[in-house]
Amino acid sequence: MKLMPDFSNLNRRKLVWASFTAIAVVFLGTLPFYYDVHNGQLGIFFFTVFIYGIVGQGWNLVAGYTGQISLGQNAFFGLGAFTTALLWVYGVTHTGYWFDPVLIILSGVTPIILAVIVGLPLLSRLRGDYFSFGTLGMGMIVSVLFLNGGDLTGGSEGKLLIKYMPEGVAFNLRTHYWVAFLAAVFATAVVYFMTTSRVGLALKAIREDEVSAASHGVNVLKYKIIAFAVAASLAGIAGSIYTYYLLHPMPMNVFAQNWLFIPILMVVLGGTGTMLGPWLGALVIYAIAWYGDKFFAGWHPVILGVIIILVMRFLPSGIVGLGDKATGLSRRGSAGRG
Amino acid sequence: MVTFTQILINGILLGSMYGIAAIGLSLIFGTMRIIFLAQGTMIVFFAYVVYWAFTLAGIDPYLCLFIVVPLAFVVGLGLFYLLFRKAAALEDKNVSLLLAVGLMYLVENLILKIWSATPRGLNISYSSATIVVGGLRVSWLRLALLGLALVSALVVNLFLKKTRVGTAVRAASEDMEATPLQGINSAWVCAVSFAIGIGLAGVAGAGMATVYSFDYQFGFTFALKALVALALGGIGNVWGALAGGLILGILENLAAFYIGIGWIEIVSYGIFILVLIFLPQGLFGRRGLVKKV
Repeated sequence: MKLMPDFSNLNRRKLVWASFTAIAVVFLGTLPFYYDVHNGQLGIFFFTVFIYGIVGQGWNLVAGYTGQISLGQNAFFGLGAFTTALLWVYGVTHTGYWFDPVLIILSGVTPIILAVIVGLPLLSRLRGDYFSFGTLGMGMIVSVLFLNGGDLTGGSEGKLLIKYMPEGVAFNLRTHYWVAFLAAVFATAVVYFMTTSRVGLALKAIREDEVSAASHGVNVLKYKIIAFAVAASLAGIAGSIYTYYLLHPMPMNVFAQNWLFIPILMVVLGGTGTMLGPWLGALVIYAIAWYGDKFFAGWHPVILGVIIILVMRFLPSGIVGLGDKATGLSRRGSAGRG
Repeated sequence: MVTFTQILINGILLGSMYGIAAIGLSLIFGTMRIIFLAQGTMIVFFAYVVYWAFTLAGIDPYLCLFIVVPLAFVVGLGLFYLLFRKAAALEDKNVSLLLAVGLMYLVENLILKIWSATPRGLNISYSSATIVVGGLRVSWLRLALLGLALVSALVVNLFLKKTRVGTAVRAASEDMEATPLQGINSAWVCAVSFAIGIGLAGVAGAGMATVYSFDYQFGFTFALKALVALALGGIGNVWGALAGGLILGILENLAAFYIGIGWIEIVSYGIFILVLIFLPQGLFGRRGLVKKV
């Protein structure tokens, strides 16, 4: 959505993408001015797309650009959601705002702490598939911890936040839309600047050949952890914002597999290791799921399974990679290398 | 002491289920390099098949093995050629992983739609038959489960060691890129190991139907437990996978008794991560193998 036009290396394809992006950003950014996002269906539709897309954009940084397939994004999403819920319920920050920026930022910080604690042993010792296994195990542990947290975390019932809503605040999706939109722009900008800077070069070097990167002076562990932590933070922020919509985070829903696999599906469909891919994927997947649920109410998870299978069977290289064989090269390294 | 031994025995019996599933995962991982996350869901699916074969047609679950296992094998072959063939040849393993996830969602929710969320469990005439040795009660059915696991491991091991295709499967799990150079049809190798993996899901499904009550959601956790068992035993080692399953089963039963049922998962996944970090070759795996992964 926010591919910056690079005029020094202007070519037609980039120009098409850049103008497409600009139109999309302007359209989405001004939507609430001429459309009732609270009552209209587009509001909740794009809100959900933004949330999934933010998680996906983070996963894209770890898997698409660094080549480490993390299977623990749901843990970070849930951790962000519970950070917001618990700090809110226990009134730790005393701000009393609706969409408290302090809570959202803190929800982006706790996943970083977890990512560093978990990432240090996992990333320093494990590569490829083993890293995926480890993150999968971490996700299960974190969700079970919240499940067993007793009164502190609310156990399997989680926390009901409605009675803690600040006074005089009306639940209006317009706010959700704005916050999620800004977070989506922020997530994409973070990934954009990270991948176009020195950090990005290091990440791509690690993806292509870890040993070679290390021998060229790249601190492999440091950059892997940076990417993993940034992705975790983005998932946490998405979880925090989603909590303001859900108002009842339970381990069952905020740690659900959906928050792990659907963002991955969106990124892979859109094109791993590309800036716009996650958004295209999020839009397409959620549109299909949305209409599928409308016409076959109650069959939503079945339809989702069919979509995943059909997409991966017939379009394994994603939408962005479609008609551009050259990008196939840049996708090569995303499998467990090393 | 009797309690402890009883826990041990129950653990071994739970572990034999993990073991069978882990052998299947190991075969599929060896050739296709993915965690086949749908393995648990396939097990649940075949458990339902066995359940309905017994409930509607009165077919004994153990007799049903002779129907379900070939069926599962054919289903596995079909799935591979229909879905996984192209993806298995790609270097991007995300595609195969997501295909497995899609299959998991699909089968899990089809089970829910067709057979409802009610947990099922079989009650066969000999369900309660137990053998008592020195004050310990062991149900025959659970013993049969251990037998099933041992036979499965033996058969898979013989297949890998004694047949030509089995040798090719072993070669492919050592180095997939070199297999075509040896004149091995790599798609066929993947297909066979995938089909055997699903066939083992059939075995485990029959076992599950006889001993445990199960529902549609059981699959994902079960696949993860099988993965833990696999990591514990060491990837690429049939007996190791079985032993990993047994150890995990025992540890889980001990944790449930001494710490509390709610903490089983913490113990098993905690061990999982510790093993991955400090003992990546597993308890019984060879050291050199891990470097290739």
